[in-house]
Amino acid sequence: MRIEQYRDMIYACGRCNFCHGADFSERCPEVYSQYWESSTARGRMAIARGILEGKLKYSPEMAERIFGCFLCARCREECKKAAKIDIISITKAMRADFVDQGVKIPDGGSSMASTAIKTGNIFADTPKVHTKWADGLKFKKGSDTLFFPGCLASHRFKEKTNILVRLLQAAGYQLDFLGEEQTCCGTPLWVTGTVKDAKTWAKQYLEKLKARKVKEIITPCPSCYRAFVEEYPNLLGLKELPMRVRHTSEVLAEIVDQKKLKLVNPVNKTVTYHDPCEIGRYRGIYEPPRKALAAIPGLKVVEMPRNRADAFCCGGGGGVKIMYGDHSQKVSDERLRDVTATGAELVSTICPACELNLTHAIYQAGLDMRILDIAELLAVSAGIVPKEILDPDYIPED
Amino acid sequence: MVDASKITKMLVDIVGPERVTDRDFDLIPYSRDLGPASQKLPTHIVMPETREHIQQILKLANEQNVPAYVRGGGTSHWDAYLAQQSGIMLDLGRMNKILEINEADLTATVQPNCTWYKLDTELRKKGLTYLCSEAGGPAMTVGGSVMKAGGGPHSTAKFGFHGNQDVICLEMVLPNGDVVQTGSAAWPSAGKFERQCLGPDLAGMFIGAEGILGVCTELTLRIRPATDIRERLFVTMKSLDDVVKFGHFINRNVGDEYLQGIYLWVDPNAPDVFIVMMEIFGYEKEIVEHRKRRVLEKIKELGGQLGDRAPADDYYNRILTGLTDIFAAGVWHFFGAGSLRIDDIKFIYDIWRKEVVGRYGYRKAGFGGQVLPRRWLAFMVLNYKEPDETAATMKMCNEIDEMVLKGPVVPYGIGGRDGLRRYVAAHNTGYYRLLKTLKKTLDPKNILQRGIFIPEEELR
Repeated sequence: MRIEQYRDMIYACGRCNFCHGADFSERCPEVYSQYWESSTARGRMAIARGILEGKLKYSPEMAERIFGCFLCARCREECKKAAKIDIISITKAMRADFVDQGVKIPDGGSSMASTAIKTGNIFADTPKVHTKWADGLKFKKGSDTLFFPGCLASHRFKEKTNILVRLLQAAGYQLDFLGEEQTCCGTPLWVTGTVKDAKTWAKQYLEKLKARKVKEIITPCPSCYRAFVEEYPNLLGLKELPMRVRHTSEVLAEIVDQKKLKLVNPVNKTVTYHDPCEIGRYRGIYEPPRKALAAIPGLKVVEMPRNRADAFCCGGGGGVKIMYGDHSQKVSDERLRDVTATGAELVSTICPACELNLTHAIYQAGLDMRILDIAELLAVSAGIVPKEILDPDYIPED
Repeated sequence: MVDASKITKMLVDIVGPERVTDRDFDLIPYSRDLGPASQKLPTHIVMPETREHIQQILKLANEQNVPAYVRGGGTSHWDAYLAQQSGIMLDLGRMNKILEINEADLTATVQPNCTWYKLDTELRKKGLTYLCSEAGGPAMTVGGSVMKAGGGPHSTAKFGFHGNQDVICLEMVLPNGDVVQTGSAAWPSAGKFERQCLGPDLAGMFIGAEGILGVCTELTLRIRPATDIRERLFVTMKSLDDVVKFGHFINRNVGDEYLQGIYLWVDPNAPDVFIVMMEIFGYEKEIVEHRKRRVLEKIKELGGQLGDRAPADDYYNRILTGLTDIFAAGVWHFFGAGSLRIDDIKFIYDIWRKEVVGRYGYRKAGFGGQVLPRRWLAFMVLNYKEPDETAATMKMCNEIDEMVLKGPVVPYGIGGRDGLRRYVAAHNTGYYRLLKTLKKTLDPKNILQRGIFIPEEELR
């Protein structure tokens, strides 16, 4: 069993419940959506220990406790104070054990993984549809710098992705794009425990990138970003990927730092920023997005009380949205309450999954509010796109 | 033989299908507490949301002769909230609301699973606080603390353990399902403002009883204005006698008002270095400075060394949010713990020094205590590795407990069969016999917390 390698950590759980926090809604989105002790990190360590000791077996009924985790790492952050347990790695190992042992996993998870493998993206788009966001854009093949949008940005946020590329190009970045050769980074595989195919996937992808002589990858998707900086090296036994990988938040901070764009138009709005888990807690990228927002004239940034390492998940993590949609919606509704409590007119983030989930929460709440990528706000300020995209009733073409 | 599926169905009828489980993976997280007590599995978990739910569950338990156990935040020790026999575990997690903050009467009424952190956060928005004592982290609940009469590093010098008059009224569901209000709340038209009313102090009967006499469903606490003045001291004393003298100075010469926390810590790798951390109390800056000056004069007179206050700040600041690196050397266990007179602290320290550090050579077991108003709550605490070191750790701790409880130490945290209940039973005091009589009267079938505090055979 894959959890064997984490035996010491599993036994190190002192059952302090720091992972749970002071209320159901405070830290852990899983316990907020399920309420059972078995849906906390502490509970999961007890389950893992039970499995190691032969007192429990993986079962389809157990799946909700293991696959209902949003992998947001809020518990892991808290456990740094206590037992330093890598709860995320253990949870992923438990998911992989499910698959290895042939125990049924949630349908949404298995179909997401198989769709990604079969069609190259999680939406089963044809290559033509999947690259439609890039219509009218010109890329420079062999420029060394690959723009890698990922499945969600390609399929769901065509306009946002298009604006991001126009912004980057206006700032002087010479971008390459895989076009119809682009496929999913592989995240659905390790999120759903379908890891037996993951190593091959990563190996082949890396070969493709090397063949194209890619020296740097820029991606707006925190999951793709982490795939390249964490998962691929882990799967392939590398210290690091042989190319630079940057999330767009870092690139946008560079643009404002080096004044690569003239931000001439004021954006007289109040905005609050939601920290995506996979660049925040996973990678410590908290300040670059804030630096980019702070550079926009007229824009007032107000923080939610739960920000940076304490940020509450948007509900989009861990594949829960596709496996347990109601749980995901409940969590996004809670995060939206944080947003609205600030009084902000706009909410901004820099993760397609967070943007999608918070958009759904806004729809559910019937609010007149837009969720905008930081790149869109910068593009308005730089005069690349009209300010109408800020309007609450603006409907993107996609 | 109880039909588990039948009990499941009956519980579902009470609370609905979403709040009952009998699945093995849901049961196992309830099978251990913070200590090394052996694993004990309940047969069902039920999450009541109302007093009425609890009444019905206890009636069901009586009718079906199934034990019922109670669990709050799950951060207790001493086997006090684990199912000693197969039975229903009531997870009170959903009963966590703040019901009222009364700024005129300075009271707060909460459901039992409201956490101290949640309550204090809301109180401080109004310039108020309770000054929770226990350093149990963010998940520590008000009901759990009070039902075990918890004590700890903060506020103990001034206010004492939880339940020491700061708990005004309780609402308890008795084992037969009846509901009792204590204090002024016992008079329905009066309100919740006073602990000692209408006769005997029945709240005191439930506080510290570890849930064997009733399930707490509501607590009213005395709250007070918060102070933002933070004067903490970190001092090293050269002998335990000096610590004792300092304790007397605080308690007698200047009064309990001076400090809201005084905490002694001795590290096993430096067993002759006595670290004392303290927090000076006062609402006015001038008063706090005056008290600090008096405290410093006494420390100087005793030859104590004043150190950087940062560790004291860190310690007191984390009482409600969680201490850091607590499991760095393994999981925790408290042992050799109890209440004792200020002069008697040397008795318990000597056992720790000679036996734990000396004979066992155990270097992961510290010694500490808080000077409560005019007494100590002292303890030994160790880190150990599960599962390899569990048996040896328990053996040592049991030996130490036996030595400690032969002396002038009142046991703290009685618990189940892996706790201290055997020592209490062996003493067979009038107090214990009365407690058994109360238990038999209120809970003739021994439904509630069966095996906790009093061994089952003692109640047959």
